[in-house]
Amino acid sequence: MLVTFGNVSRYYNDWPALENINLQVHQGEFLVVSGPSGAGKTTLFRHIWMGDLPSTGAVEVAGYRSDRIRKSDLPFLRRKLGIVFQDFRLLPERTVFDNVALPLQVAGTSPKAIRRRVFSLLAEMELNHRRGSYPHELSGGEQQRVAIARAMVSHPVILLADEPTGNLDPEVSQIVIDLLIEINRSGTAIILATHDPRQVPAGVARFLYLDRGHLVNPNLWDGYRQL
Amino acid sequence: MIHLLSNAIQEGLLNIRVKLGSFLITLLMVSLSFMVFDIFLIISWNLGTVLKNEQENVGIEVFLSDNLTEVEAVNLADIISGMEGVRAVYYVSPQEAEAVFRADLPEQADLLTLLGPQFHLPPSIQISLHPDYRTSEKVGGLARTVSGMDGVEDIVYGKEYLPGLTKAVDILESLVILAGLVLAVSLSLIVANTVRLAVARRALAVQIMSIVGAPGWFVKIPFLGEGLLTGVAGAAGSLLFTVAVSWMLSSSIHHEFLPGKWIMLVLILGASSGAAGSWIGMKSGIPKPRS
Ligand SMILES: Nc1ncnc2c1ncn2[C@@H]1O[C@H](COP(=O)(O)OP(=O)(O)O)[C@@H](O)[C@H]1O
Ligand SMILES: [Mg+2]
Repeated sequence: MLVTFGNVSRYYNDWPALENINLQVHQGEFLVVSGPSGAGKTTLFRHIWMGDLPSTGAVEVAGYRSDRIRKSDLPFLRRKLGIVFQDFRLLPERTVFDNVALPLQVAGTSPKAIRRRVFSLLAEMELNHRRGSYPHELSGGEQQRVAIARAMVSHPVILLADEPTGNLDPEVSQIVIDLLIEINRSGTAIILATHDPRQVPAGVARFLYLDRGHLVNPNLWDGYRQL
Repeated sequence: MIHLLSNAIQEGLLNIRVKLGSFLITLLMVSLSFMVFDIFLIISWNLGTVLKNEQENVGIEVFLSDNLTEVEAVNLADIISGMEGVRAVYYVSPQEAEAVFRADLPEQADLLTLLGPQFHLPPSIQISLHPDYRTSEKVGGLARTVSGMDGVEDIVYGKEYLPGLTKAVDILESLVILAGLVLAVSLSLIVANTVRLAVARRALAVQIMSIVGAPGWFVKIPFLGEGLLTGVAGAAGSLLFTVAVSWMLSSSIHHEFLPGKWIMLVLILGASSGAAGSWIGMKSGIPKPRS
């Protein structure tokens, strides 16, 4: 089991951002979490990379438990995860190459090994011609692909993508979703948060719905009206 | 590990390069406030040297009566040299006193000649004291004892000067410590503020680094380095400014520059206030994981 939520609740000043969440994510799985804005998707993700901890209950990710993890373990947990955000979060003063290399640089990988890995990944993702560019010189779609490359560079076991297409137009969004499906095929588990679950073909993924902090039965979910 | 450390340092240099202008302004600000401290140190170092010399000279001069024979005088000197607090005694014969007088005051030397051969200066005993005894109370006590002895005509010591002297040294020392503390605190606050701004400006980088698995120290080292560098370079800059000022004033005001030990002290004060400042700045700047 890669991720287990055991009866997790998270309150912000008594406001339940998550309540009684039970969830398991398996090796190599593709999980789509949808729900309206404010449903708790980002909070759920933050609990996976343990940037936030449950008020009650416990999260276990790649062998690390939220109720036992030490601050010094966090880097090692996060090196097993790849994280992609809606707003890309590339470092503006670094080139594409250096942005993608960052997770390896902060893990102490040798410069030679970094070059080898980053070059092959950029080639694979057809970003090689952009390696010397700065983020502001790229289109939104390219920036998000660079962010995905950064997330994948240290071979994570899970890729967390929090509304990665939220700032992209439909065609570019489809390219990004297809890229995620391809990454999942090669064995990496993916958890995708999205407003619009129809982006992902039904046979590919498992679908979950969050509503005001609660996981709801997909068949009872009436959120489609809000989409 | 080596790669990790060198990456952290590169990250820090990147931070500074990006805002070289404001870094230099901070440096100038730190240097100027440190310069006030340096000048204060120089004044206190020089006054301290003067006072120390004065203190060294605090002694008692015992004038003996004319009809005391040289043997009796030397005996008296022996007795005094055995007393508590006395470091050394020296018997000055009338002939020696006259020689000293002529050497020290050549213009007045004719006076002695004028007074004729039957006049001579009184013999005396010079008492030098142990450092612990160079305070007004102890000198006063010793002087009273000696003045009661047979053959002692008169006794002279720095009655007026002494109490002030002791106090001045004390006050000066506590002023230097106080100035050092004030400076350390204000420097820490300056650095804390610049580091807090740096952290805020680099919030995205701090967050991303921590999310992609950078250890806490990797994120902190650039800011700590910036604080340390600001402190040390600021202190060093202030010393350069102060050397320049000291050199310009050297012809009009006689003084010495700070000795090596005190220069080290200034640099260490800069380094530690800089480190403390960046620690405070990071405490208030880097968000807690739970927030
Ligand atoms: N750090 C926080 N402090 C207070 N409230 C928060 C915080 N983070 C999220 N929330 C609240 O929790 C709820 C869920 O937010 P979020 O997880 O961002 O939703 P989503 O990502 O689905 O839009 C919202 O009501 C939001 O206002
Ligand atoms: Mg969100």
